[in-house]
Amino acid sequence: MADVAVPSGAVFTGAATEKRAVRIALTTVALVFLAIFLLLPLVSVFYEAFRSGFGVFLKAISDRDTLAAVRLTVLVAAVSVPANLIFGLAASWAIAKYEFRGKSFLITLIDLPFSVSPVTSGLIYVLLFGAHGYLGPFLQSHGIQVIFAVPGIVLATIFVTFPFIARELIPIMQAQGTQDEEAALSLGASGWRVFFRVTLPNVKWALLYGVLLCNARAMGEFGAVSVVSGHIRGKTNTMPLQVEILYNEYSYQAAFGVASLLALLALVTLIIKTVLEWRYAEEIAATRRH
Amino acid sequence: MNAMTEFADDQSIALGAPVGVTIENVAKDFGDSPALHGVSLDVHAGELVALLGPSGSGKTTLLRILAGLEAPSSGRVLFGGEDTLGLPVQDRNIGFVFQHYALFRHMTVFDNIAFGLTVRRRRDRPASAEIRRRVLHLLDLVQLSGFEKRYPAQLSGGQRQRVALARALAIEPRLLLLDEPFGALDAQVRRDLRRWLREIHDRTGHTTFFVTHDQEEALELADRIVVMSKGRIEQVGSADDIYDRPASPFVFSFIGESSLLPVEITDGTVLVDGAPSGLSFGETGTRPATLGFRPHDVTLVSDDGPAIRGRVVAERRHGARRRLELQVGPKQLRAEIDVEVEASRAIGSLVAFQPERWRIFPA
Repeated sequence: MADVAVPSGAVFTGAATEKRAVRIALTTVALVFLAIFLLLPLVSVFYEAFRSGFGVFLKAISDRDTLAAVRLTVLVAAVSVPANLIFGLAASWAIAKYEFRGKSFLITLIDLPFSVSPVTSGLIYVLLFGAHGYLGPFLQSHGIQVIFAVPGIVLATIFVTFPFIARELIPIMQAQGTQDEEAALSLGASGWRVFFRVTLPNVKWALLYGVLLCNARAMGEFGAVSVVSGHIRGKTNTMPLQVEILYNEYSYQAAFGVASLLALLALVTLIIKTVLEWRYAEEIAATRRH
Repeated sequence: MNAMTEFADDQSIALGAPVGVTIENVAKDFGDSPALHGVSLDVHAGELVALLGPSGSGKTTLLRILAGLEAPSSGRVLFGGEDTLGLPVQDRNIGFVFQHYALFRHMTVFDNIAFGLTVRRRRDRPASAEIRRRVLHLLDLVQLSGFEKRYPAQLSGGQRQRVALARALAIEPRLLLLDEPFGALDAQVRRDLRRWLREIHDRTGHTTFFVTHDQEEALELADRIVVMSKGRIEQVGSADDIYDRPASPFVFSFIGESSLLPVEITDGTVLVDGAPSGLSFGETGTRPATLGFRPHDVTLVSDDGPAIRGRVVAERRHGARRRLELQVGPKQLRAEIDVEVEASRAIGSLVAFQPERWRIFPA
């Protein structure tokens, strides 16, 4: 480099390289922003939860109603995540591998839950299944309770978490095209075998991401669930609803205790995601490459 | 790529008995744009056939119809006299090799090749020891022994394509279909694989179709070449037929290098731009026609006799000779001729020449 003639006074920098000061300033802004808006709240949730000691925390979260909320939250996720897994696979398969009328409409429709306020989503279900809704009287005469009961919470959660898995799968399936499936078919594989031995392994990482995100949202959803739940203690309260109730009753310790469990879920999700990316980096890269 | 002689027991590789293929009036429409217009072709068992044409000629569509990946809009396809209508792709027992290999990225080379055997129903599935024996044998055939534990991402393009071929051969297909098999490879690898595919074909005896837009590949590899254009078959024949006796100006210009000039035939004389070219064509009356000749098939003649005359507009080195690009006549028709390097002319000078071999096509 010493031989390169540079006009005196000129500093040789790459085209995309900023000055040092600018670089430091930008990084600082980003870090401060993250610290104030993400890290600080997260730390304070745990701080508040454990402020009066671990025993108090344990007592707060082992309350009967709180445990019921935890069970309900797990149940809702256990139903809605598999439901959206099946839907997400079917929808992205159809969108990526076939040409059909109304395809772009379907894609838009899948995005709808992202753009609609969760409260509105909840209200739609009240309107449909509520006591004065379109289907409510019919359901009630058959002894089926949807609104203010577990089925309504599950439905609202499914609606809100609709796009997560499909959105992860559609781009990767579209990029991969249909050649692998055609090759498998020509080798004599039946439709199901093609799906389980070729299509599914080709998208497994995207699918896992989708499931993780879907699960986090299913457990954490507040708005839509709040509308359809009816807030019956020990019966129709999920963890986020339980947090709100406890907070409104000035049981800060208990509220932050349950909130810390939700925060923990978020952290665990992030950690699993990172570990997967790190552990299977090569395989993921191989799936994307090729 | 030449050590192919060491496999003595080839009988164990091939043999889903090769079949003849009859294509009857096959047409295909995608929406309102026709991709094939009533194509008919007979191919006998064990033949190696090239489907050659520019992109959009319908060659890949025809191959996919043979595979059962597309259904024809009308017409029939018969394998060994048996109608394939309604026979799904899984049951056709064809080996299909894709341009971009379509190897299963999450499986090892071994599992890729074994795939067609392991997905069979239990009663048709060979024992795992037999599968292993066959896969290793095929790996040997495609000269990738020792690669069975690799993943596709760890192979070069040429190696991937050889795995794809081994995978297709593993199911003992009745018919081998290759879609631009060497299209994504660089020139040297293409040449090697081409020769190697020919050897494999000669040893295994599959009826084979391959799609290509590369005329050199078709001429070198195929027993018969099917030249296609705009959804129609222009000509079917051996390399010599196609090259020396082209059936249409399209074939003439698509195969090899060529110049085409519009001419008029008047009482046995070929007129270029109204002037006698010195070529005679045994026919009375007057009609327009197209004259075709190859750049390397011309001689320069003296300027005072009958000849085709053109002005040099560009010249460049072309192998051992020099290529002149000419403008012929006031309509500025383009023609290319090859001359000896020492006989080259300056740009702007006038050249008189006659084709030694040439063809007249009806205009």
